[in-house]
Formats: sequence, C-alpha cells, structure tokens
Amino acid sequence: MDLAIGGIGCIAPGLVGWAEARPILGGDLSYASTPLPRLVPKDLAPNERRRLGQITRLALSAGQDALAQAVTDASSLATVFTSASGDGEIIHSVCRELARPTPALSPTKFHHSVHNAPAGYWAIARQDHAPSTSVSAHDASFAAGLLEATTQVKSGHAVLLVAYDRADPFPLSLACPIIGSFACALLLYHPATVTAAEAMITLAIGPAEPETRLDIPELEILRRNNPAARALPWLAALARGGKTRTVLPYLDDRTLIIQTRSG
Amino acid sequence: MTESERKLAELLVTTLELEDIRPEDIDPQAPLFREGLGLDSIDALEIALAVSQHYGVQLKADDTANREAFASLAALAQFISTHRTTAA
Repeated sequence: MDLAIGGIGCIAPGLVGWAEARPILGGDLSYASTPLPRLVPKDLAPNERRRLGQITRLALSAGQDALAQAVTDASSLATVFTSASGDGEIIHSVCRELARPTPALSPTKFHHSVHNAPAGYWAIARQDHAPSTSVSAHDASFAAGLLEATTQVKSGHAVLLVAYDRADPFPLSLACPIIGSFACALLLYHPATVTAAEAMITLAIGPAEPETRLDIPELEILRRNNPAARALPWLAALARGGKTRTVLPYLDDRTLIIQTRSG
Repeated sequence: MTESERKLAELLVTTLELEDIRPEDIDPQAPLFREGLGLDSIDALEIALAVSQHYGVQLKADDTANREAFASLAALAQFISTHRTTAA
C-alpha cells in the first residue's frame, strides 16, 4: 500500500515541533534534552482548554504541529489516535478516588478517563465530524495506528494519525513501563489525491527482523521505553530524505516495514 | 472580599484550574456562570463536589436554593456558612 505524507508533527523534550525536530533527527544539529514547555493547544474555548490533562495537550499539540507544517489540503481529515497507555494520570486519580470509603468522583476526570478523550477534544477544536478511531496495542501501538490509518486512507479518507505516550504514575507504571513524553503526527493521503507531498511511502508487514534504531543515544532510550517513540527511526528517515527502509516493531513475529522516498 | 470568600475563591481557582485568574481577582458580587467568570454546567458539578468535600455542605441537583447559591462567590460563601451552621 502506497501513501503520501502531507505533513509531520513531533513533540518531545528537546524536539518541540517538527521545525525543531527535523534538523536534529536528520543529523544536522545535535540533540539536547530540555523539559517540555507547558503545551497550550489552539482553537479550544478557555473552558475546554483549562480542563485538558498533560497527555491530551501533548497529543493535540503534535496534531496541530502536523497541520501547521502541511504541504497538502488539510481541511477535512479523518483521525486515528494511538497510545499504549492513554491518560494514566487520570486513571490513577479515578482509581484512588474509587478506593476511598465514600468515593466522590470528579465529573471532569470521569469524562476524561476514556481512551478517545484526545480525539474528542480534537474534533471540538476543529469543529469536525469526520470519522475517528482510537487504537491501543501496547508496544505495537504506533505500528497498529499506522496500519489503521492506512486502511482509512485506502477507503478514501485523508487521515491524521496521532501517536502519543507519557509515563504513567505508580503503580500503573508497573503494567506498562513508559518513560518521558512523546507524540508525533502524520498527515496521510492516497497518492492519487495530492499534487505535493513531503514523502511517499510503501508499507508491508514482514517477518521478524532487527528493528531500526537511532544513533542519538538519549532518543534511542526514549524509543525503547516509550511506545509512541517507536516512530522515531522513521521520523529520522523522513528528516534525512532520500530512499530509506525502516523496520518498526509490530507483533512478536512480525514487523512493519516502511519504504520511504522523499526529497 | 471576606476571609471566607477568599478561601472559597482559592478552592474554585484550584478545583477548576482557572487560567490566568487569581483568587483575589474574583469579584464576590459578579455572576459565576456565563457572563461573569464564564463557568459552565460541568464546573457546577465540580464546585458541588469540592464544596461537599471541603465544607461538608451538599448542593443537591433538585434543590431550587442552588440557583441562588451559585449566583456569585458571595452567595455561595453565604450558602455554605448558613448550612454549616445548621449542620453544626
């Protein structure tokens, strides 16, 4: 299956926005990890914006970064949101409250506890009723999200894929160990529907083989320990340009192979 | 602003994570909802929960006195003060 990439977004410590991330992942600038600034997604009313948890801010900011970088028409987009663990902070808070003798659950936290809360806020910000799917597949969440987005593109939609993961509080951190914060977003199109593109890709599911790694040590640690950051070697390939082959982890005995042509 | 209003204002700012608003910025007489602080129905539920947890005062959904209690910071502080006294 061939896809056109119309825009790329990235939010991580030291990689705040694709404009900052591109020269670092492409090898032209060195990486320095700096704490994430407070992320303030655009286009939401103050009442909605102030209720956003950190992970929703992360996801929406990555999606909006991809739109800001778009070389294609992004007026109507189906969305696929993918995250291994979702909003662990909210789940932790809800579980703590439910464990009290007389639980009093915050209605805001309750309605943020669903896995597709970022997708909902995205639709509110965009005032968009386009189809949306929220995916979770543990360590394979990025590959599973990309495959879901691909099937949506195949059925005629331009798609925004957003992958995001953030460290969970203890004890949820034992179930799905994640470090740091990472989100990326890709605008995906059927090649026949666009006249310009950042890159063209071909996807295939292959047998087990070593996955592509990063040569930036701090980001390689993030890649190994944050499921959304499994996308980093492919983002590095997009940043470098040219023809590349990236192997991403998928199932135990399967990988996702991305052939990328750009520049 | 009275001391009880200031404490209640702090609770509102923290509970509702109000952006760029300090407790002392809230006009005790201004409407809390819509044109005043711009709060909405979800905020009303959060306030009822916080008031119940901090003051032991229940704001019931079917109580017509709620409309008056939610009118302003001063009205809410008065409602809490009255019902705490009654409970005690």
